[in-house]
Amino acid sequence: MEKIDDKYDFSLYEYHNLLQQNILVSYKGPIDERIMNVIGENIELVTNDGNDKAKSKIFKIFMELAQNVWLYSAESLSTASGRKLGMGTLVIGEFGDAYTFVTGNVVRNTDIEPVIEKCEIINSLDRDSLREYRREQRRLAGTKKNSGNIGLIQVALTAESPLDIELTPVSDEESFFSIAVKIKKTGR
Amino acid sequence: MEDIHIEGVHEAYFTPTVNFEVATGNCEIAGESYLEETSKFYSKLLDWIRKYTTTIKGPLNFDFKLSYFNTSSSKCLVDILDLLKKYQNDGGKVTVNWYYDDSEEELEEVEDFILETGLEINKIPME
Repeated sequence: MEKIDDKYDFSLYEYHNLLQQNILVSYKGPIDERIMNVIGENIELVTNDGNDKAKSKIFKIFMELAQNVWLYSAESLSTASGRKLGMGTLVIGEFGDAYTFVTGNVVRNTDIEPVIEKCEIINSLDRDSLREYRREQRRLAGTKKNSGNIGLIQVALTAESPLDIELTPVSDEESFFSIAVKIKKTGR
Repeated sequence: MEDIHIEGVHEAYFTPTVNFEVATGNCEIAGESYLEETSKFYSKLLDWIRKYTTTIKGPLNFDFKLSYFNTSSSKCLVDILDLLKKYQNDGGKVTVNWYYDDSEEELEEVEDFILETGLEINKIPME
């Protein structure tokens, strides 16, 4: 059989197998509203084990986190019409009584520090304080352009779980940043 | 002054259904809200409310029946509630009904809108 020499530097079969384990949806590439729309509908299809509340939670979380990748990824594509599409990875997994939703993208180290601080604040607050924080930040956001921060508070409130963040350096200036959240199938 | 009628659309972006009636003061925002230009969309609605509350000065009955709205939309919804609260403080007659999907989280969100704006909002579970 004909072989293409530099097809991949990894085995697609191994990659496929890796994704077989508990993974319902995975996507890597540019993100915009059309791709979000397609993946959003996929989520609806694959999360059949959860109740309707769990489904709507995953959808809400997906919308906020995918939007963040689109807008804030340090890796991006520009379309012919000049739009910038952030690149990143989205994975939805199923583990026992919960779904996990993970997004990851490359970030500039200087940009990510305030985001990490924000995540640490979010994780340190109980639910009532987190709701108060959302109210406060929503007021502030009216005067600022950056709305990504309310998105993260919303994600933590919707998931009812902490934001599991990870930062892996890829160069002196950049790191791979990921956020994972867990959503119980029996959402309340 | 004219009514606002916007048909809801669910495509890549989600436009909510909007019906604002000058003659009755009955206003409805329903469906899903995830827009390309959120502020631009809602500024039309805010302008309508400003005009109605300064020229017509009739009662306002607001029904929010949103099954989904993103965080950018939530900021604009608070702007609407702020205007309604202001009108009420100035002596305007305002009723606000918020239909929520029957979940703890959404109920909390309405309660937070009440705390955030000081406006009285009737919480009604969606059918």
